[in-house]
Amino acid sequence: MPRITVDGRELEVSEGRTILQALDDLGLLMNGIEIPHYCWHPKLSIDGSCRLCQVEIEGIPKLQIACNTPVKDGMVVRTKTERVKRAREGVMELLLVNHPLDCPICDQAGECKLQDYAYEYGVPHSRSKEPRRAAKKRVDLGPGVVFDQERCILCRRCTRFCREVPGTGELGVFQRGDRSVIETFPGTALDNPYSMNVTDICPVGALTTKDFRFKIRVWFLDDVHGVCTGCSNGCNVYLSVANNRVYRYLPRRNDSVNQTWICDAGRMSYKEIGSESRLKHAYVRSASGSLEVSTYADAISAASARLRRLIERQGPGVIAAVASAHATNEDLYTLRRLLEALGTEAAGFAVPLGDHDALLVKAEKAANAAGARALGFVDANGLVDRIRGGGIDGLIVMGHDLLDPAYVGEPAVLSHLDTVIVLDTHRSEMERVAHVVLPVRHAAEKSGTLTNHDGRVQRVHPALEPAWEAYADGEVLARLGASLGFEGFERKWDVRAVSRELAAELPAFAGKDLGSVGELGKPLADASR
Amino acid sequence: MLKVPYVTNYLSEHFAEDAYATLEGYERRGGYEAARKAITKLTPDQVVDVVKASGLQGRGGAGFPTGLKWSFMPKGADKPRYLACNADESEPGSFKDRILMERAPHKLLEGILIAAWATQSQTTFIYCRGEYAFPGAQIARAIEEAYAKGYLGKRVMGSKFSHDVVLMMGAGAYIAGEETGLLESLEGKMAKPRKKPPFPAEYGAFGMPTTVNNVETFCHVPHIIGSGAEWFKGFGTEKSPGTTIFGVSGHVVRPGLYELPLGTRLDEIVFEHAGGLSAGRKVKGVIPGGMSMPILPAGQLDVPMANEFLRERKSMLGTGGIIVMDDTTCMVRVGWIVTYFFRDESCGQCTQCREGTGWMHKIFERIERGAGSRDDLEILLDVAAKMDGQTICAFADAAAWPVQGLLRHFREDFEAHVAHGKCPFPQSFEL
Repeated sequence: MPRITVDGRELEVSEGRTILQALDDLGLLMNGIEIPHYCWHPKLSIDGSCRLCQVEIEGIPKLQIACNTPVKDGMVVRTKTERVKRAREGVMELLLVNHPLDCPICDQAGECKLQDYAYEYGVPHSRSKEPRRAAKKRVDLGPGVVFDQERCILCRRCTRFCREVPGTGELGVFQRGDRSVIETFPGTALDNPYSMNVTDICPVGALTTKDFRFKIRVWFLDDVHGVCTGCSNGCNVYLSVANNRVYRYLPRRNDSVNQTWICDAGRMSYKEIGSESRLKHAYVRSASGSLEVSTYADAISAASARLRRLIERQGPGVIAAVASAHATNEDLYTLRRLLEALGTEAAGFAVPLGDHDALLVKAEKAANAAGARALGFVDANGLVDRIRGGGIDGLIVMGHDLLDPAYVGEPAVLSHLDTVIVLDTHRSEMERVAHVVLPVRHAAEKSGTLTNHDGRVQRVHPALEPAWEAYADGEVLARLGASLGFEGFERKWDVRAVSRELAAELPAFAGKDLGSVGELGKPLADASR
Repeated sequence: MLKVPYVTNYLSEHFAEDAYATLEGYERRGGYEAARKAITKLTPDQVVDVVKASGLQGRGGAGFPTGLKWSFMPKGADKPRYLACNADESEPGSFKDRILMERAPHKLLEGILIAAWATQSQTTFIYCRGEYAFPGAQIARAIEEAYAKGYLGKRVMGSKFSHDVVLMMGAGAYIAGEETGLLESLEGKMAKPRKKPPFPAEYGAFGMPTTVNNVETFCHVPHIIGSGAEWFKGFGTEKSPGTTIFGVSGHVVRPGLYELPLGTRLDEIVFEHAGGLSAGRKVKGVIPGGMSMPILPAGQLDVPMANEFLRERKSMLGTGGIIVMDDTTCMVRVGWIVTYFFRDESCGQCTQCREGTGWMHKIFERIERGAGSRDDLEILLDVAAKMDGQTICAFADAAAWPVQGLLRHFREDFEAHVAHGKCPFPQSFEL
């Protein structure tokens, strides 16, 4: 492998990479070695046009762009010389000559690379006395994205993205010189399942999502590491949070999962967290047959009383559980333990299905279907057959509308059961047949791990606190176990301890507990995939 | 229409004969003998060696050694290799390739054929400036004749060598004359120059190894192969051999084309060949090689027209398009025109070029309108410096150099505008 020296630091790099690529491979780019850049993006083809990444290379008289200069053994690169500094100042000054400098009304302010680099690498004053280019401020490019032509610095990341990632190529550069402008090709709109990624890679405030723009100033936001729960791909995201509310998902780079992208549907799935249809109260079915709001503690007691009565009358074999592919590995492990304590083996997991594509979108529309499988749950359809056959009289259903035609279909199948206990994040049709309904936390509201379709165990962090009483599924199940007086459920449920226990018990999860998977996750041991 | 340069030499000596543009007329004057010699008697490497030995430099503006360029083409038959002929002559002040195509299209085809043999290329794409309708038609007709005669197509001249020539008419952008902009345009895309690496010899037209040469460059090749490298070196200077066809325009009595050895003095061209200026007028400045090249003031016209001498005066031979300006010329206005052109023609990819050309033009406009200030001159020089040598292609250099030249030699014009708050020269047109 070639060795190069950058600012006196000797580095071993991969053959056939350019300087920026090699530094990115090593995780050093803008993280120890500062080579500012606009047009270059690690997941797009090299453009070489913004000219900001110029560096000095020993033996080459002219400055070279680091994005397109292949590494060579013995190459000596300097990024901090006076010439490099002047070149950067030149690019920054020229980029700002026609820029509207409308930061006070620009949604990108605070996370704008033009602001950041102007501050870091530019000159403090503008020497231009000339009128700035006036252009369209609000171009509707498609269903998700608005474009401000004046702010555009023509790095062409967006045009390359559309051509190279979704392959739709809706965007192009039209005209030339300082009249160049990004537009959709005649008769097309920026309308593809990944369209809003252009707003993430746009280094300035030119491309913004209709959804997020003007909602909040970005400096009020905290970015919490998380995982999109829209499908089983488990795209890594930042949850931008303020005022105990998630304002957006941004894709978080994970080269093993989602590169730097997220699909539009997944990006918008943050809205489920603060949705009006969240389940905010516990309910218990009264003697008169109606569901009544209950305290959480009473609802747990009611659930355990019904289960105890059922065990006493018919034995534990008539109790079954439907695991949720939305729940974490820790939640599901606790369900396993509860089923063991109950003494029943009747269980399955349910997952909603939908469209998929070749890029990121997976058909299983829940984040932890693979985790459910790895934890020994099988598809719930077999269980549904048993329910239909009359062999089941008590049912715990986690986070799935089992009345979905893909599973049960008509309510009559469930309405004759003695006991139906529902744990859910959102209100659902299941309330028609439930005897006890218990609100649980969304993945954005709790700690835990999720296993994506590829068997990668990934961590989620609590980004916000629900404004109503709700617990992780695991905690609710543990409380139910405690209420039933089962051994091993005496102590308060602690996700970290459960995660360690899970990793110790199941070989596939060895070393994949909450504290060990890191922010980019770790794959399950091969055998379990 | 000018059919013959006012001064001719080996390239243009038969241009007076209309038949010279036909295959028959061209062969009557010994045409295609050099190609026949190359293909039947010389190996490709021998041809490259002769061209290397001749010292021929590209006539498209950059002056790169032609034989060396050919030698960059990879050997081996794993991929088709291509040639591209840059006939997109667009440099303001240049009109030499046009007459070569109009009067001697077969000379161009013969040069292409020899170069194709030398580089073992299977196809040549001639990219002809769109506005050059007649030169393009001449080339198209010559190609047809050459195919009919078996000089193009399969088994050229009865040999085992095959070669096709395809003519493409351009669509009107100056930047399509930049070699990789040309390749993009050839492929049907906007003429946005490509970043290097990869260079065209590795990844050129349609991704295949490609060598791009200018029309005039190809036209010298039959003479070099026919008469030898030593003969060729008998013209011009030691470092810049051969003739070139200078195009003289502007305030001279006899604007036109002059085929003269490289190294001919600029003042000889302006005053003797082109007849000097009208009575009572004096030279103020001369652009020696097309609008991209820095201007020289009246006192520096004693320079031999070859790169090794022009570089000492901080200019270059470029395309040999000489633009003469007399003492009524406002150099701020010249700057306005020059930067208008480069602003209009910049492809807009690179930051410095896209923004710098426009900024410079706006400054020239303000100075010419009388609203300039002294610091504008420093800003102009600084912007030009930031453009020079920092972009994907040489366009930004070409836009920066003339500005640097104007400010180097005619600073007093700029200062007069600033001092008087208006243009002190008679104005020939509205801005």
